[in-house]
Amino acid sequence: MQVLFAILIAGALLGLNVWLYIANKKTPVPEGCESLKPDCSGCGITDCAIRRKEEE
Amino acid sequence: MNLLTLFLSALLINNVILSKFIGMCPFLGVSTKLSSAVGMGLAVIFVVFGASVLSWALYYYALVPLGLEYMKLICFILLIAAFVQFVEMFIKKTSPSLYKSLGIYLPLITTNCAVLYVALDNITQGYTLVETMVNSIAVPAGFMLVLLIFATIRERLATADVPEAWKGNPIAFVVAAIMAIAFSAFAGLV
Repeated sequence: MQVLFAILIAGALLGLNVWLYIANKKTPVPEGCESLKPDCSGCGITDCAIRRKEEE
Repeated sequence: MNLLTLFLSALLINNVILSKFIGMCPFLGVSTKLSSAVGMGLAVIFVVFGASVLSWALYYYALVPLGLEYMKLICFILLIAAFVQFVEMFIKKTSPSLYKSLGIYLPLITTNCAVLYVALDNITQGYTLVETMVNSIAVPAGFMLVLLIFATIRERLATADVPEAWKGNPIAFVVAAIMAIAFSAFAGLV
């Protein structure tokens, strides 16, 4: 029974995550924030995906 | 435990960066500009507080009654990720100006180990809800305080005459070490 509850809780949290991820993606970005990007010049992390995209 | 003692201890004495060495990635990464440091610091305070209180409630109202305490790590990770998604969506819908200043930092916080550290620390220390709330404000406030001090120093370092071999991260580590020594003096405060 305990294992069933463990699976249920983990599954519920995973489902919540997926649902919120999709809902967040579907939510339109506010006007004026469409091209919002982190300021790479103010960041020292060089192996970040955003920076790599920026440098391409 | 005295709440003021808990607050000062988490803020200055057991500072999450300089004493525990947690959250070093944004500490070194997002500290070259003061404006970035302010945005990151505020976003960390907001997320750590919300995620820690939710984690505390999940642990004591769901995991403990069901005897599933061993699942706290995986549950907290999932809860933090879900909370960040929710906060980002909520800010997008309600406050474009807040989204402009914090939005880009929110996804980065999901991977900040300081968030998980506070959620787990509240449980392992056996804090009550009020103590959890105080600790969850004090720890990220300490994070922001150190981040801001470090960012102002690094902005000045950018124009300083630093030897070539010491430029960038080497001098940043030296500064961080000196700051850690300075903060260790707070140990006699409480």
